Amino acid sequence: MNNTIVSYLSQFESYKGLLESFSSLFGEAGPGLLTFLVFLIGCILVVTVMATIGGLGTYAERKISADMQARMGPNRVGPYGLLQFLADGVKMFLKEDITPNTADKFIFGLAPLLALVGVFGTLAVLPFSSGFTLSNLNVGVFYLIGIGSLVGVAIFLGGYASNSKWSMLGGMRGASQIISYEIPVVLSLMAIVLMSGSLNFGGLVGAQGGLPQEWFIFHNPFTFIGFFVFFIGALAETNRAPFDLPEAESELVSGYHTEYSGMRFAFFALAEYIEVFVVCGVGAAAFLGGYKVPFNLGGEGIIGQVLQVLVFFGKTLALYYLVIMIRWTYPRLRVDQLMTLCWKYLTPMAIFNLIGCALWIYLLDSKSMWDMLAAFVGSMGTGGGH
Amino acid sequence: MDNVIFIISTILTVGGALCVLLTKNIMHACVYLLTCLLGVAGLYVTLGADFVAATQLAVYVGGVVILMVFAVMLTGGPNSQSSNKFGIVKIPMMGNAKTYIIGIISAVIFGLMAYKVLSRVITSIQAGEAPVFTETVEKIGFMLVTDHVLAFEISSVLLLGALVGAAIIARPKRGV
Repeated sequence: MNNTIVSYLSQFESYKGLLESFSSLFGEAGPGLLTFLVFLIGCILVVTVMATIGGLGTYAERKISADMQARMGPNRVGPYGLLQFLADGVKMFLKEDITPNTADKFIFGLAPLLALVGVFGTLAVLPFSSGFTLSNLNVGVFYLIGIGSLVGVAIFLGGYASNSKWSMLGGMRGASQIISYEIPVVLSLMAIVLMSGSLNFGGLVGAQGGLPQEWFIFHNPFTFIGFFVFFIGALAETNRAPFDLPEAESELVSGYHTEYSGMRFAFFALAEYIEVFVVCGVGAAAFLGGYKVPFNLGGEGIIGQVLQVLVFFGKTLALYYLVIMIRWTYPRLRVDQLMTLCWKYLTPMAIFNLIGCALWIYLLDSKSMWDMLAAFVGSMGTGGGH
Repeated sequence: MDNVIFIISTILTVGGALCVLLTKNIMHACVYLLTCLLGVAGLYVTLGADFVAATQLAVYVGGVVILMVFAVMLTGGPNSQSSNKFGIVKIPMMGNAKTYIIGIISAVIFGLMAYKVLSRVITSIQAGEAPVFTETVEKIGFMLVTDHVLAFEISSVLLLGALVGAAIIARPKRGV
């Protein structure tokens, strides 16, 4: 079946020993129980790490923005203010949980959960390393797009259920923006799927190498443009500046989560920060070589896996830094500019890239630019002898 | 133990569908429909149809439900009065003899039809073997551009027509 964390672990002797002891303890149900336990531990680990990264994301956002604006940023709680996000979390817990009187209480309570479910669902296929991927589904890219769209539903329902015009406008903007920008994002991912011939993230990353010239972003001119189309679209899909119209403070108070307070607001904020990490991870996996370590250092063992995780997190966090930097650099777009950018520029470019990649595969046998350059230089060298 | 996913999916599907029927708030019905569709995706997964399950997620959860919610909201929402703008009572009173007779007849007909369809399943109910898991993506892609290329092209032309039509409707009128 699919490659999962279980199938990676099952090649080790100690896991087989564990399996035997489980089988002798629980009989028939032993292997299933062990698989369940491994997945449970893996899921808890991933969700905890991601929640911490989401929390640290808020800290990073404030610190980087402070840096760019020549301020200090949070610096009181813990060393360098690192524990600020924990203090924020405690504050969120203790805040009064307000539900507006006229709100649709059922949907009002459901929307933040739906946002978190959608984001955590995407973590299942995020390729942290060749072994430590919760499940390397063979429709991984497609699954990620599908389950990620729950966030759009959640934002819209949250805006709707608040029964406030600011929330409503924010929710509508959010839903229309997410639906529109899904098209260029998916089309530019499709180009990569064409190049690698696989819909699972393992295949996407496996078709690339550890060094920059083996990454898909530098594979040919079309994928190079495709990366930027993907990145701009991903910014819009996660409602980040300059596309943060759904929560435009200057016009909509706080957009779709205006009426939310306490932990429910924290859920929305956490979902946003984790989603940014997820789309950065997808960008890193699809265009920047993912978890591939240069020169295959560390091999396939545990050390190799740790290096792969580090490389993946390094690339993803670099993109994360870029996202935060963009937020504090560019002004916000207008709604009509947003739609113009999506439908008149990004979508045609994405379609152009898709066709270009298809032609590249058909005509040039999907060789990368560098391979052809090397072959050309080589032929020059031999040809120049006479 | 093997049927955990199946049981969860079934509960989601059936429970969601029942809640859609029983709720009076159309917005809540949309949310319940979401759980129902998620459950159906889970059922596809248990049958080994991974591509169809992912499509179910992408198309229905991401697209159709949002469209439904939009449509409900733009056409008045759940808080409008008990009759819509055409004067049709949304929640009918206890019916008269005519509605009861029609109701009974249609219930009998639908019951017979359902029995006819399900009779073989009901009489010989046995736990079947789940099909061996194989990758379906490549097969589906291959079939789409070989055997079923005509249907594929026709549906793409249909979608293109819908896109162009939407663009024409949404275009601002010139010179008016």
